Amino acid sequence: MSGQQAHRAGPGWFTRVFAHGLSGWVTLITYIFMLAPIVVLIAFAFNAGRSTVVWTGFSLDWFEVVWNNRHIARALQVSLIVAVASAAISTATGALAAVAITRRQFLGRDALGAALAAPLVLPEIVLGVALLVFMSFMGVTLGYGTMIIGHVLVSLPFSTLIVRAAASSLDLQLENAAADLGANEWQTFRMVTLPQLMPAIFTAFILSATLSFDNLVMSTFTSGVGTTTLPLRIYSMLKLGITPEINALGTLLVVANVAILFLVMGRYLPLMLKTSRR
Amino acid sequence: MQGAVELRGVVKRFNTFTALRRMDLTIRQGEFFTMLGASGCGKTTTLRLIAGFELPTEGHILIDGQDVSDVPAHLRPVHTVFQSYALFPHLSILDNVSFPLTVRRVPRRQRLERARAALDLVQMGGFPDRKPSQLSGGQQQRVALARALVNEPKVLLLDEPLGALDLKLRKEMQHELKQMQRRLGITFVFVTHDQEEALTMSDRIALMRGGEIIQLDTPSGLYNAPSSLYAAEFIGETNMIPGRVVEAGAGRARVEALGGHFDVACSEPPAAGAAVTLTIRPERVTPVAANASNSAGGRLVDVDFIGTDLRLVYTMSDGTRVTLRRQNTGAAPPQVGQGAQLGLAADDLRLFVT
Repeated sequence: MSGQQAHRAGPGWFTRVFAHGLSGWVTLITYIFMLAPIVVLIAFAFNAGRSTVVWTGFSLDWFEVVWNNRHIARALQVSLIVAVASAAISTATGALAAVAITRRQFLGRDALGAALAAPLVLPEIVLGVALLVFMSFMGVTLGYGTMIIGHVLVSLPFSTLIVRAAASSLDLQLENAAADLGANEWQTFRMVTLPQLMPAIFTAFILSATLSFDNLVMSTFTSGVGTTTLPLRIYSMLKLGITPEINALGTLLVVANVAILFLVMGRYLPLMLKTSRR
Repeated sequence: MQGAVELRGVVKRFNTFTALRRMDLTIRQGEFFTMLGASGCGKTTTLRLIAGFELPTEGHILIDGQDVSDVPAHLRPVHTVFQSYALFPHLSILDNVSFPLTVRRVPRRQRLERARAALDLVQMGGFPDRKPSQLSGGQQQRVALARALVNEPKVLLLDEPLGALDLKLRKEMQHELKQMQRRLGITFVFVTHDQEEALTMSDRIALMRGGEIIQLDTPSGLYNAPSSLYAAEFIGETNMIPGRVVEAGAGRARVEALGGHFDVACSEPPAAGAAVTLTIRPERVTPVAANASNSAGGRLVDVDFIGTDLRLVYTMSDGTRVTLRRQNTGAAPPQVGQGAQLGLAADDLRLFVT
């Protein structure tokens, strides 16, 4: 009786093998699959030869090539300008829209909320083509303006969603309290609502800037003469043949992204955890 | 005399639900006024109407003689202490308390001075730089109070402010709030569902039910002379005794109840034959001699030891339970099962037609 019970209570061999043994391996393999290409990319950035598959020796030459490439420097500058400008517009618009949607009653509120999330599910290429057609119809010259608008379009749903999530978890009573203590709507927003949304707004800004910096599809349709972004430049470099110069550039981008990530996490994650714990 | 707050024919409807039906009320200058009732009685709605978070569907609200019916919350000379405290989590204690002065553009030096004084008033001067999350519930409550008082409002609204505190702290704060109100002379409008708290603190109490005030009286008036069976039941402990009127006289009725006959003082006695409920507070029930008038016999079924008091529960000959409350004098309580004759004096009994 007791033996039977013990047998039934313990996990079967199937569960033991798959749940306890295999899941660890699957996780490991997944990580290798995800990270191996990046490791290889970084490794060959230090290759002495021109090949990105055959190792011939260690050197930092390719980083020097990247450093001296005027086109890359120029593309980086364009990318940064577009990323910062579009992220600023996207975050400001998204934050205000998020506050309006979560805080106010008005006609078409739900429709607006859904419409702002729509670009998430629309193929970006469709958005890009539509914007290009619209711009040429309006007679607008392609350049910084069109590109920034395009990138705002791509990142706006994300920044709205992030700030919306934060805004909907705010305590409505606090705004009542502010009004009760004599603050008008603007003072309430500036002194009570906005400071509490700051971590979310900062996150939205960083995400928008990253989305813009990485963007290729929208940039293809909206860039003009002299506004070639870094991804566009890399893509056109590939057409001329792959050299470790691209690996070196990729390595620098990975390092920069990870650095930003740590900066954000280090500064804002404890802060966000602290506010959410309350 | 002009009231601190006046409600004139105020009606509040939310879609089809009527939260307040025609409320006329004058809250006097400098009084501690309490709105008491079970949840959903309209007490919080009334408070929110005075604060300006809700606008009345009909009628007018006057604060200090000024019609504020259409004035938004931030321009009304009233401040609220919320049950959830509603302290701003991103601001320090000092910045929280000086908030009402900051939005009014009071110069910095004066602002800090007044905020410190307000914190001292509630005995929270010790750590002005802490954040609200670093304080206990009772401390947060004090800070919320300081913040509501710093701008010296004409009227202070308190929405169940002690609801989240434990019993001991609650008793302390009741006492302190009452003292503070006397000292500052500000009109307090207090909302609570706790009848004991209302009795302890208030100058006057409005007992509310179903969006209406059913009795407006002093604590002793409400306790000693409830105007309805609901009021008698809601406030304090009460014995409810079913009976039937056998004879109606001038200012008096003779009622058959508990297997005997009782004279009851009553200004408008109902006609003979009417079914009534008699009520009497447990501390007014007294043991009497077996042949005393206005008394009935019962058997002790339960003794509750409360500390200061003893509660003795009797079952009467018709099955009704009557509770007697007497001071704990240190003498041994009577044995369960003993018989006793309970006297219910004509002036202590109240009669309600059922």
